[in-house]
Amino acid sequence: MSLAAGPGRGGGADTQLPDELALVVEKQVAYIQSLDKRRDELEYHLTEHLRISGVYWGLTALHLLRHPDALPRDGVLDFVFSCLRPNGGFGAAPGHDAHMLYTVSAVQILAMTGGFEELETRFPNGKMRIAKFIADLQQPNGTFAGDEWGETDTRFLYGALNALSLLRLLHSQRTDEPPLINVSAATAYIKACQNFDGGFGVAPGRESHSGQVFTCLAALSIAGELDSYLGEEGKDRLGAWLSERQLPSGGLNGRPEKLVDSCYSWWVGSSLAMIGRFHWIDQKKLTRFILQCQDPEQGGFADRPGDMVDVFHTVFALTGLSFAGYPELDEVDPA
Amino acid sequence: MPKYADDPTWADIVPLPTDEGGPNPLAAIAYSDDYSETMSYLRAVMAAKEHSPRVLDLTEDLIDMNPAHYTVWLYRAETLFALHSDLRAELEWLNETALAHQKNYQIWHHRNLIVDRLCGEEQGVVDEEGLWKAECEFVEQMFERDAKNYHVWSYRQWLVRRFGLWGPVELEFTERMLARDLRNNSAWNHRWFVVNGRAEMEGDGGLGVEDPEVRAREVKFAMEAVAKTPQNQSPWNYLRGIVRKTGMSLGHLKGFAEQYASLKEPDEVRSSFALDLLAEVYVEEKKAKEAGEVLDLLATRYDPIRKHYWQYRKGLLGVEGAAAA
Repeated sequence: MSLAAGPGRGGGADTQLPDELALVVEKQVAYIQSLDKRRDELEYHLTEHLRISGVYWGLTALHLLRHPDALPRDGVLDFVFSCLRPNGGFGAAPGHDAHMLYTVSAVQILAMTGGFEELETRFPNGKMRIAKFIADLQQPNGTFAGDEWGETDTRFLYGALNALSLLRLLHSQRTDEPPLINVSAATAYIKACQNFDGGFGVAPGRESHSGQVFTCLAALSIAGELDSYLGEEGKDRLGAWLSERQLPSGGLNGRPEKLVDSCYSWWVGSSLAMIGRFHWIDQKKLTRFILQCQDPEQGGFADRPGDMVDVFHTVFALTGLSFAGYPELDEVDPA
Repeated sequence: MPKYADDPTWADIVPLPTDEGGPNPLAAIAYSDDYSETMSYLRAVMAAKEHSPRVLDLTEDLIDMNPAHYTVWLYRAETLFALHSDLRAELEWLNETALAHQKNYQIWHHRNLIVDRLCGEEQGVVDEEGLWKAECEFVEQMFERDAKNYHVWSYRQWLVRRFGLWGPVELEFTERMLARDLRNNSAWNHRWFVVNGRAEMEGDGGLGVEDPEVRAREVKFAMEAVAKTPQNQSPWNYLRGIVRKTGMSLGHLKGFAEQYASLKEPDEVRSSFALDLLAEVYVEEKKAKEAGEVLDLLATRYDPIRKHYWQYRKGLLGVEGAAAA
C-alpha cells in the first residue's frame, strides 16, 4: 500500500460549484485499490516505515465506502504476518523493528478481516504473544512506550488499550489471573495530561492538541471511565475547546491559530462524538470543506483544497463525512 | 551508479534486498536506486549485528535520504553507544540534520537519548550548564523556522525538567517568543508549564499561580496580551486557567471583559472571548436575562458557526435561571 501523495489534488472551491460537490464513491474505491500498484515511485519506498498503517487506513476507508472486499484478503493477511517479529510485535514492513503503532495497526487489520484464526494457526498462541509485547511496554507511571527505546506518547497508550481490547485481553480471562496491564495506572496518567485549557497533550504539561484529545478520550472510553471522569461539566468544557477548532471555512484545526486540515475531521469529530457534542459544530460547513478536499477526477482526499491527496487524509476525511451523516457511508465508531 | 557495490570499504558485505515479495521493480528505476541499495546494506549489517564506524556513515547517508525511518535511528544509537563515540560530535551533526528536516521527530528522540547519555554516568565530566545552554540556544534557533513545532516544544520541556530550568531565564524566553507572536499557543502553554510545572509535576515546592504574587503577575501578563490582541483565544484561555486553578471569582474579570464587549454597545464587540466570559460572570451573578442576551449575540453575530453550542449554553441558563427564581 503506497502512502505516496497524489496523483491528483483536492479540487479547489473555484473548480466546482457548491451544489456539484458530491462524494465520488467508485473513484475513491479505485484510488485506494491503485495505491499498491505504485511501487515504481520513490515515495512508495520512502514511506515504507508506515506501510502497515497505510493498509489499515485503506481498508478502513473501503469499509466506510461499503466496499470491504475491494482489497484481496489473503494478500492483506500475508503482508500483515510478514511484519510480525519474534517478540510478538509488528514492524511497519518486513524487516522493520516492532513498534506499538504498527502492532496496533496489525491488530486492527486482523480484527477487521476476521484474521485472528489464521493468526493462531500460523503462530500458535499468537494473540497472547502480541498482548504480552504490548503489555511489556507499559511504564511504571502507567503510560506506554512505543518500543524498547522508551519514547512515550498518549498515542501509544490509546493504541495499547485499543489493541488489547480487540484481542479481548484487556481484562483478565479468569478471576485468579492477574490482568496483563494496569488499567487504572494508565487512566491516571491520561488524567495528568489534561491541561489548564481543558484539552490534552502527548504527556503532562504538553500543549493541548486535537489528536491527543482523541487518544485520551478514546482510551478513557475503552477503559470505561469517560463519563465518570469528565461528567457533564467536563464534557461542556472540552466540547467548547473542540468546537473552537472549527474555522469559518468549515474545516477544523488541531490547535489554536493553526491551519485547518481534513484529517482533524476525525480527531476533533470523533472526540466530539464520544462526548455527545458533535452537533456543536456546523456540519454542513464541515461537509462542504471536506468535499472541497476531494479529487473528483481520480479519487483521494487532500489536507486542504488544492494540495496533493493521500490515503491518510482520505480515510480521515471519509470519517468526517460519516460523522456529518453523509449518505452512502457506513457509520463509524468514534473510539 | 551504485554507491556501495563499488566501494572497497563495503566489499565484504552481501547486500540484502527488500523482502517485500513479488517481482522487484526497483532495479529498473533509476531514481530510487540509491535509496534501495543503501537500505540493502543496512539490512546486511543489521543481520550481522555489526557496530562499526562505517555503520555510522551508512546510517547518516540513509537518514539524509529518509529521516523518518525509525529503525535506522535506533540502529545508529545502538552503534554510537557500542563504539563509545563522541556524542558531542553527534549533537553537532544533529543540529544540521534537524534544520534540514523540520517535521521529523525521530531526530528529537535521538537527541534526547544522546544528551541524557552525555549527562549520565558514562561520561560524568560534562559541563552540564554549558550543555543545556547550548541546547536551549539551538531550540530557539529551530523556533525561528517554525515557532509551533510540537516536537521541538516537547524537547524544550524535557530540557526544563531534566536540568531544573524553572527560573526567570525560562520565563524571559516565553516573553521573547510571545513578543514575536502573541498568538503562539505553544508559547502560552510553555509559560503555564514554566510557572506551574514544578508544583504540578515535580512536587518539590513552588505554588505556581496559587502564590498570590505569581497570580497577580500572570493575570497582568495575560491582560496586557489581550489588550494588544483582543480576539486571541490563547491569553483568554490562560486567564480562565488561572481562575479555575486558584478559585478566584470570575467577577474580578468583569470590568476587564467589559472593555472588549458590553451589552450596552452590542455593535462594538471587539472580542467573542470577552462575551463568553461576560456570559459566565452574569451566570455567577444570577442575571440569567443578561447572560441570555450575551449568548444570543454570540450565536447570531459574533460566533455563529457554533450557534448550537451557544444555544446549549442558553438552555442550561433556563434551568439554572428557573432554579434561582
